[in-house]
Amino acid sequence: MCRVLAYLGEPLPVRNLLFDPDNSLVRQSYSPRMMNTFLNLAGFGMLAWDPTSLEPADPFTYRTTTLPSYDRNLRYLASKLAPTCLVAHVRGVTYSDEAVVTDTNLHPFQFPGARVVLAHNGHLRQFSRMRFALVEHVRPELARGIEGTTDSEWIYALILSQLDDPFGVPETSELAEATTNALRILRSVRAAHGIDTSSPANLCLSTGRAVVFTRFSFDYGWYPPEDEMLETDLPFVSLWYAIGGEYTRRNGDWSMTAGDPPRSLIIASEPLTTDHSTWLEVPEYTLLTAELTPAGLEFDTRDLDV
Amino acid sequence: MRKIVEFLGTAPFLEGGAEADLVELAQVMRRRTVREGEILWRQGDEAREMLFIAEGGVSVSLHLPGDRVVQMATVDPGEIVGEIALLDGGPNTMSVEATEATTVLALGRADFAALLARPHPWSFALKRRLASLVTSRLRSHLLYLAGSLGDEIGGSPAEEVARTFAELEYCSPPNSKYIQRLATFNAFDPVALWGFLTSGRYARCPSGRTLIAEGAPSTACYLTINGAVEKVLIRGDRRIRVGLAGPGKAFGYESLIDGRPSPVTAITRERALLLVLPRDPFEQLFNGEDAISRVFLDVIQRDVVATLRQTLRPLARQASARPVSPAPPAAPLQPATGAG
Repeated sequence: MCRVLAYLGEPLPVRNLLFDPDNSLVRQSYSPRMMNTFLNLAGFGMLAWDPTSLEPADPFTYRTTTLPSYDRNLRYLASKLAPTCLVAHVRGVTYSDEAVVTDTNLHPFQFPGARVVLAHNGHLRQFSRMRFALVEHVRPELARGIEGTTDSEWIYALILSQLDDPFGVPETSELAEATTNALRILRSVRAAHGIDTSSPANLCLSTGRAVVFTRFSFDYGWYPPEDEMLETDLPFVSLWYAIGGEYTRRNGDWSMTAGDPPRSLIIASEPLTTDHSTWLEVPEYTLLTAELTPAGLEFDTRDLDV
Repeated sequence: MRKIVEFLGTAPFLEGGAEADLVELAQVMRRRTVREGEILWRQGDEAREMLFIAEGGVSVSLHLPGDRVVQMATVDPGEIVGEIALLDGGPNTMSVEATEATTVLALGRADFAALLARPHPWSFALKRRLASLVTSRLRSHLLYLAGSLGDEIGGSPAEEVARTFAELEYCSPPNSKYIQRLATFNAFDPVALWGFLTSGRYARCPSGRTLIAEGAPSTACYLTINGAVEKVLIRGDRRIRVGLAGPGKAFGYESLIDGRPSPVTAITRERALLLVLPRDPFEQLFNGEDAISRVFLDVIQRDVVATLRQTLRPLARQASARPVSPAPPAAPLQPATGAG
């Protein structure tokens, strides 16, 4: 289990998302409010796009396996960076000696030269049984780039493989279609291997100008009787968003101001504030897309049927 | 004290309470007078109490994204407000403000819980009344949501529901350890829980089948054991999903509680394993006064409260595209209770 956050909109200090609100992403690493049985202590990563920076198409990248709440470098950087797009992730792993905590397993993933990045909240059950059946669906140049041990990095390679140019900047619609196609492939491979346990795949993809997000679970609600993840999956693979003008502090409380058309969007596993009144929950089986345009933020949600 | 007891004796929510019960209740209630415009609590605040409105009146408002506020109800003398958050332990769902000089009687969280927990026929009656009240509120919110879609009820007709019901594949009960680990059930006494879970039959249902049709009476109440069932409002080619009944969640009970047509359509989104409770066993459990009925009433109560909270989320999305208060008159709220 993990926690993921994406921001798209007006330049916003990263600390306003990672540290300042009372349920900020960093707080969600050690005290998530919607996960009672798990913490997210297996590392932090973020990619941030700043149009005023050198090589603005390349995101600023920071990943570390240390705890973000004690990371002074991260805190200092978060006070200086004000990107128009951010993808950040705190990683949670099962309390098992099989879990691997290492740099190469940290989200968001970005292969060298790729313009699309991915962060994932969820896990594909019995992934080791299906991993190598995915090889035929992944382009060799991408399969060679997989460095870590996570299902998430394979999902990333699988989605990139569905794009006309895995190293280009796809249209938002193409990225959404590639994501949907990848989920269909995963469903068929799971079925071919007799894997039918509930497996959440909340995916966050971004190009720096657009985000594609899913709230989705394969075989929702199906668990073997002794399953250790039963209590964890059901309520906790959540997704929320706040959309409007700008994310700001007023009278001591962080909230999204009204904006028509909207100019800023935050999507996160949990609302960044304990007061949820300015947040909306993304329903299960949803594909969400958003794109920065000269006229504002184009935003859409649709049913995800794979 | 005498006046408080007399007032409590007229409150619809407390109907059937004996004099001694009302005296005991009056002793733990706190009387408070507030000025016009005073905020009794804000949406999102930790819930500490529910209120009986003794004199005056309050308004109940929903704060929405984009700095919008919708007035959802007014609550008059004799009515209650704030029970939702006490039932599920969550924050207050809406803000409450006095519309005039108002006198309230406050019942704290612990005393409210104690009132419902007693092994006493009146406590069972209060639980049933709460289930009915929250169902009534749920219907009002669903009606409001449906109004935003316009058009006539669409989707699957009642004949499809009958066909699905007839084609259910009945099977043996699932592993009891699995059920007891579901968050919905893990706090219940295992013997009473199993009594409830063996009151109906288990059945498998493929995905995409309609089990409940909006506007038609329910044939049964269902509890999802595995899989997922969508609760939706369908108008033409538009739909709003108002709930997803995954493991441990129920659906189809509204119609059996109040005898009115179902307020939503329920369709299996995944293949599902279901506990099926037709009308007769449902009514036996709902109207019983033993440990098994207590479990059942708690399950239904939690579910209807959770569903009500969930309807407030899509409601927010719908309402955020509309002008600010008041809420449209097409969906009058039931007068018996307020949210909070």
